[in-house]
Amino acid sequence: MARAARLPRNARAGSAILAALLLVAVLAPLLATDRPWLARGGRGLVSPALASFFGAREAAADRDLKPLVRAPVRHHPNRIDLDAVLQPPGRGHWMGTDVLGRDLAARVLHGARVSLAVGLLAALFALAVGVPLGAWAGYRGGLADAVVARCVETVLCFPALLLVLVVLSAASGWLHRLSDVVRIALVLGVTGWVPVTRYLRAEFLKLRESDMVTAARALGGGHLRIVVRHILPSALAPVLVTAAFAVGAAIGTEAALSFLGLGVRPPTATWGGLLSEAREHIDRAWWLALWPGVALFLAVLGCNLLGEGLRDHLDPRARRR
Amino acid sequence: MFRTLARRLVSGALTLFLVTVLVFALIQLSPGTPLAEAADSAGLHRPSPEAIAELERIYHLDQPLHRQYLLWLGDLARGDLGRSFHDRRPVASKITERLGITLTLNGLALAVMVLTAVPLGAGAAWKPGSRLDRWAGVATYLLYAMPAFWAALLLQIVFAVKLDWLPLAGLSSDGASRLGPGEALLDSAAHLVLPVVCLAYGGLAYLSRFVRAALLDRAGAETALAARARGLSALAVLWRHGFRQAAIPMLTLAGFLLPALVSGSVIVETVFAIPGLGMLFVEAAFQRDLPVLLGLTLLSGTATLAGIVAADLLYTLADPRIRRG
Repeated sequence: MARAARLPRNARAGSAILAALLLVAVLAPLLATDRPWLARGGRGLVSPALASFFGAREAAADRDLKPLVRAPVRHHPNRIDLDAVLQPPGRGHWMGTDVLGRDLAARVLHGARVSLAVGLLAALFALAVGVPLGAWAGYRGGLADAVVARCVETVLCFPALLLVLVVLSAASGWLHRLSDVVRIALVLGVTGWVPVTRYLRAEFLKLRESDMVTAARALGGGHLRIVVRHILPSALAPVLVTAAFAVGAAIGTEAALSFLGLGVRPPTATWGGLLSEAREHIDRAWWLALWPGVALFLAVLGCNLLGEGLRDHLDPRARRR
Repeated sequence: MFRTLARRLVSGALTLFLVTVLVFALIQLSPGTPLAEAADSAGLHRPSPEAIAELERIYHLDQPLHRQYLLWLGDLARGDLGRSFHDRRPVASKITERLGITLTLNGLALAVMVLTAVPLGAGAAWKPGSRLDRWAGVATYLLYAMPAFWAALLLQIVFAVKLDWLPLAGLSSDGASRLGPGEALLDSAAHLVLPVVCLAYGGLAYLSRFVRAALLDRAGAETALAARARGLSALAVLWRHGFRQAAIPMLTLAGFLLPALVSGSVIVETVFAIPGLGMLFVEAAFQRDLPVLLGLTLLSGTATLAGIVAADLLYTLADPRIRRG
């Protein structure tokens, strides 16, 4: 039983990568901070890093502390140090520093927060639109299906990046009052719902004809009850598959937007933004272009592996190939 | 057959209608006062009163909504995409003067993609599960997850900065005008290598997997087995029963590769400083130059739709089962 339920290797690899990134994203202020984890002060042992993680502001007394245990990356992501400009990876800065002497490792770790937040939020928006729409089209068929199919084809005609850029630069007032992360995630939802809808529609089309649904209908179940109680639980796994792909796509597009300079604004560290800064020093500082890209690549790869692995797991026909 | 063709044409026309409605809706997102408000809250590029008046005139804002749409369609039919906010030039001529560069870039990328993916897919399908099959699968999969702008930076560092084999960016070297015709051609070719590679590699995974699956499907069929039994060489079977039949489903891919190529052009042209449509789009996005943005969006949307519909029609014509059905 436990063996049969075991996920395929690519799904396990993908979820391991994503779990690690999620951990890094949540703990980034602890992993990369100039404040010691453990220090001896006037009143015994204290942990300034933990204190600031939970929102405490830096106190003047902190400067007299004697650090005992330091964070693995001993730098604040936005602290400028003009004595350590464009340093290659080495002892003090193990990913090197940028043109303002900011520590790249700290910035890459903190960049995970933006990428994952945008990715998860955008996937949530995509599911919120795509699941009901796909369910409706697949379950009802006929005209509803035809309408949704035309809408899907319409959005598919446009390159996703173009549509997102137009909405971002054309949209008015209220969208600009949102925070960068929410705004970008919301706009990514404009194209994100399409693959979700397509996949869900196919799934509902299949399940609609199943004996389980016929039985439920024979027992007098209403449409809403059948959809919510019978079909949706069976379609939950496909929802997870599309969610994984949606997160990956959103992370990639957010990075592209930030790379172009139209995404999350500086000085917030984002992987796309870091790569954009790397462009200007490409002849002198290769490390600036390497590490943020590795992080981005791993995140997208993790999502693709997880999505594909889950899909193989659900569809044994595709698994054998 | 005619019914199938007609049905596809009708649904295509319906989608075209929705495409124009979508772009029209994007206009509605912004013009007039909301535009000024947006610029205000962003604290950047406040459009001049003339720009707003221009918008109101172009999009006939004094009319009711359905009339606005029809008037806008009429302008489109006459090739009038409005004028750029930035330099007041007609959007249509801004687009046409840069179209050639982007088409060349994408044509080359498509050629490279097909010329790499077909042999790769065929090699993988030759012996499923072989070392080549597995490695090609893993390599193209990893490439697929690699963002184009990161790949572009890495290629620039390796081939332009460290090895100094290829130029870093641009379309020609300084003083290229003094070169002879042969040298000038070589110079632009060198400038195009990295951008074309960046644009092409992403689709490799998709295309080579597709070729592999299509070939396995056909080559494993009984007709292929019978051909082998008649004494045809494996290569001949692959060609006659594999490629020629796999070519039909490959047509349908064209429609889906096009949007990816356009998105790719935006990124690649920005990184390599190539003054094509992609760069025009990014410049317009920075300047909030709505007429240019919408003109380009409409253009790529209709081009892709035409590609999808044409591929479907060709597919119908090429498949004897549908053709005679």
